[in-house]
Amino acid sequence: MASKLGLAGGIPERRVRPIWDAVDSRQFKTAFKLSAALLSKYPNSPYALALKALILERTGKLDEALSVCLEARELLRSNNVEIIHIDDLTLSTLQIVFQRLDRLDLATSCYEHACVKFPNNLEVLIGLFNCYVREYSFVKQQQTAIKMYKIVAEERFLLWAICSIQLQVLSPGGEKLLPLAEALVKKHIASQSLHEPEAVVMYISILEQQQKYEEALEVLSGDLGSLIAIEADKLRMQGRLLIRACNYTAAAEIYQKILHSCPDDWTSFCNYLGCLLETELSSSASSSNLLCTLENVELLGCKSNNLSIEVFDSRIESALSFVQKLQMEAHDGQTRCPYLAAIELERQRRMKGRVNDKLMEALLIYFNRFGHLSCFASDVESFFLSLTEKEQAEILERFIINCESSTSEPLNKMGQAITIFKLKGRYGVMTTVPIEELEDTAIKMVDMYCKNLGLSRDLDPQENFYGEDLLHMASNVLLLLYWRTGCFAYLVEALLVLEFGLHVRKYVWQYKLALVHLYSYICALPLAYEWYATLDIKNILLETSSHHILPQLFVSPLWAETSALLKDYLKFMDDYLREASDLTFLAYRHRNYSKVVEFVQFKERLEHSNQYLSARIQYWILQLKQKMDSIDQTECILGQLNDGVQLLELSNEVKLNHLTFNEELQLRPWWSPTSHVNLLLEPFKGILACSLENLHQAGENEDIVRKAIKMKSLVPRLIYLSIQSAATGLREVVEPNCSAGAAKIDKELMFLLDEYARTIDLSFDDAVNLIYAISKGHRSFKEFGTGTVVDCLNFAVFLNAWNFCSNHLWQLHQDGEKQMSWSMVESLIKICIEEQLMCLRPIFESPGSNLPSLVQLITESFGYHALVIQSFLRSIFPLGKKKKKGSSTDNLNLRHLPAINSTIECLCVGIQGVQKWLDDQINEAEDTKLDILLSQVMRKTHDQGPGRVLCILEDNASSCHAELGERISGALQTWSSADVIRKVLRSQVSLMSEFYGICDSKLKMLESLKRSL
Amino acid sequence: MTTIRRFRCEDLLHFASVNLDHLTETFNMSFYMTYLARWPDYFHVAVAPCNRIMGYIMGKVEGQGESWHGHVTAVTVACGYRRQQLAKKLMQLLEDVSDKMDKAYFVDLFVRASNMPAIKMYEKLGYVVYRRVLRYYSGEEDGLDMRKALSRDVEKKSMIPLKRPVTPDELEYD
Repeated sequence: MASKLGLAGGIPERRVRPIWDAVDSRQFKTAFKLSAALLSKYPNSPYALALKALILERTGKLDEALSVCLEARELLRSNNVEIIHIDDLTLSTLQIVFQRLDRLDLATSCYEHACVKFPNNLEVLIGLFNCYVREYSFVKQQQTAIKMYKIVAEERFLLWAICSIQLQVLSPGGEKLLPLAEALVKKHIASQSLHEPEAVVMYISILEQQQKYEEALEVLSGDLGSLIAIEADKLRMQGRLLIRACNYTAAAEIYQKILHSCPDDWTSFCNYLGCLLETELSSSASSSNLLCTLENVELLGCKSNNLSIEVFDSRIESALSFVQKLQMEAHDGQTRCPYLAAIELERQRRMKGRVNDKLMEALLIYFNRFGHLSCFASDVESFFLSLTEKEQAEILERFIINCESSTSEPLNKMGQAITIFKLKGRYGVMTTVPIEELEDTAIKMVDMYCKNLGLSRDLDPQENFYGEDLLHMASNVLLLLYWRTGCFAYLVEALLVLEFGLHVRKYVWQYKLALVHLYSYICALPLAYEWYATLDIKNILLETSSHHILPQLFVSPLWAETSALLKDYLKFMDDYLREASDLTFLAYRHRNYSKVVEFVQFKERLEHSNQYLSARIQYWILQLKQKMDSIDQTECILGQLNDGVQLLELSNEVKLNHLTFNEELQLRPWWSPTSHVNLLLEPFKGILACSLENLHQAGENEDIVRKAIKMKSLVPRLIYLSIQSAATGLREVVEPNCSAGAAKIDKELMFLLDEYARTIDLSFDDAVNLIYAISKGHRSFKEFGTGTVVDCLNFAVFLNAWNFCSNHLWQLHQDGEKQMSWSMVESLIKICIEEQLMCLRPIFESPGSNLPSLVQLITESFGYHALVIQSFLRSIFPLGKKKKKGSSTDNLNLRHLPAINSTIECLCVGIQGVQKWLDDQINEAEDTKLDILLSQVMRKTHDQGPGRVLCILEDNASSCHAELGERISGALQTWSSADVIRKVLRSQVSLMSEFYGICDSKLKMLESLKRSL
Repeated sequence: MTTIRRFRCEDLLHFASVNLDHLTETFNMSFYMTYLARWPDYFHVAVAPCNRIMGYIMGKVEGQGESWHGHVTAVTVACGYRRQQLAKKLMQLLEDVSDKMDKAYFVDLFVRASNMPAIKMYEKLGYVVYRRVLRYYSGEEDGLDMRKALSRDVEKKSMIPLKRPVTPDELEYD
């Protein structure tokens, strides 16, 4: 910051520098002192005031900082002749403070004023442009850039204007500005030409967006094109433009050129083939990304073409000979593209209806060359899927034969074997083979891993061991066995296999991620969190990868961990969104214009992240959960949210429709492709045609996410209105003067309840009827998923609160008494807890427990209901004192007391029931549980069933392996399955203890309510 | 099967399988964005079919006079794509850009002194240890400053190793 020194407002540098130095070194006391001295000498200097404001802001005195800034601003705007210095240093110092105070508008107004006063000052105009960049005001950016361009006619200012136009083009209707942009550039070229490669890229992009492809191609092949220094980039642009111009023959030639220099460029091969076969091509520059950069046009699958058979055949032949030539030229043994290209050509033939067995041959050749590589399976994925099931089995058989007869070195042989396992796993083969065979597969995998450990003996500890994939795959097979048989021991084995792998080498993130999910599933969430923490997921990975644990934490009693993760994530997002515009300006300054547009689009993408929105809502829900035992503290939190309105605004329809989904779901386990799906909770029905890989791609149901966000965003406002309703409703029955307030609450609660019901796909009336039917025993919670149980109960709680200020429900059900809605909730609570408790099994041997539902019921539904009770009691017993019986209002209110008393009792009984169960679980001897589990997985005498895989690991660990080197053999010797299982059991106990504590505090709160009656 | 292209912001949303590796640092956003905004030609990604990210390289060009050089800030390859000489391809690309576009004298990089696999790889690519930087990594581990001369440094002066180690505050650039 000290580098910003210069002549500022006429103050000599020697007087200013020490202040900056003190601020930079966080010596704020000194800074204050120096600043006071400076101000006494220059009381009317906006710069001296700006410095003072800066110090105030840094020391957290935000209000004072703002007021000093405003004072400086007024001085700048006054026509005081003494103030002759309005320089960028003053303005930028003020700007820094205003920005930190979240008042960009004020900073902009200072610059705007300065620009009026000094219309030709370039430095100040640049500052103003930057202000508009920060505010994402594209039109004003454009106007300011044009002003600067008119003053100095520099290329960069013209391009700043062009970028600002491009940003407007991204909005509907903005494309009409393109001719203006084109005219501006052309005029500039005529007088001065262009000198920056990025300027040429922008120019071509403008032409391209107007479909002036021929013109763009001319630019590229002329003098301006020579500015693009990387030849391959230039060729790719040419190829793309030719495709757009439908000049496929010329485009194919260009892609051939690229492939000669980059023979491994698969995208270029796809484009080449697409041009040759005149297949439907689609640009990677979609409508939402109009700015065309150097990237390629990509084939969107190989759709049918209209070529005659003869033409098609001849083109495929010519492609084949080109590909063969590339194969001949590639000597490094690493270039895979020409070989995969041969497979693609055969697939094309087949798709055209040609009888073709060469596809299998091409695959076999590819296997023999590259089958040992760990990316082989993903390379051939799409080709494999185009084979019939019979062919898949046949080709796998041929791979196996080739692998077995291969004389290649052990590493390659193991690589090929791993590939075969992978292919079997991917294409559903393993869902149909007999259980014994599946067990044998897992055994072979683990056995192969153990036998080949020696190959990794001399590797650096940081390097991946050979065959690490094997343990991951074995664990997946064991999970499939668990899914298919329901036998829990397989699951224990699956996690032991992964733990074993991490015991041997602690860095394998794939094992860690798998364990995060497995431990979450078996209610060992603290352990899941521990493994998650070792993954060091931070910064942008928080956006793409925290879905591995965050959803589980939301429904857990681990509030401290949830809060820490949420805070980290929100801080990352907020910081980025705050600094994003400064980074965009950096791209402007460094003349990387294509990045300007990219940065703005990226910022919008992150800003609309579903996870960001959800986290912001969940953060407040968590705050509420933590303070819900006290109505005063709850109200305090609600106050910070504008009584819940703030969250309603966050999740309005427009925002929900613009949500982006940035989570990298591909890294999730096969059995939980999204956080809403857990196949292990569903019975195995046999997947014949459908492969596991397809399940991965089933994709997250974005609608589910939207509804979940919507529902959560309603809760704080519903709580607020429920509290209000309970406090005011009954009074107003006999005090009609106040009915306006009640009517307002009535109306809004009704509206929000309707919205809430819609998030569970019910209309308001249907939801009311449903909960009434359940409370009367006519319908059952069992008809719904466990998540819906919580949603229904929450709905009933808010409905009961609504009943205080509304007559609708009363009329609807003709039960004659308002108190009936108390008993309805009470009955639901009883039914619900009873059903949940009945489903509970000992956690340590029953994965997929409904514990998260119980946690939600008690921390959310029960909490909300208790708040309604607290509010009601507070209104009839202000300050906790019992009121004398007297007025008719009181009499009416007091009629509710028996119902409330009974409800409190019901909540207590429910919580005590849960506590009792938790207590039993927590206090069961660890050794007993351990023995039960070990006896299931460590059976020594058996031919089949769980335990055989673990047996291999245990045998391997117990025997002496000097040949594996000190590091590996040392790790093997210290391996203990029992230790791992103990760790799991303790983690489960820790989770339950945490929950027990929450139940305890809820009980205490309810007891105190009882006493107040 | 490697399409190497300039890195885009969106790639940040798809590189978890590369960055979850314990040796690959995930920097803050301003770090990545600054590199993209200032040196986009030094930030490339390798993409496999189906748009899987195989690895990436980020770097910059800086210095004055005969110290004008390309710098490799990070180069990393996902574990499924290792042992295929991908890092070599990415390094060659950065060297090419430094050599031909920016006419730099050399390319340098820093590596943990304990990271033997990486050091060996760089040596294979023609880099030498120019100097040791004491406690370069978080004030704990030493770093090695490795260099490779480009065509402009005809006599390969930039690669002549220094005799004594240096401390981080003696470094010319951050």
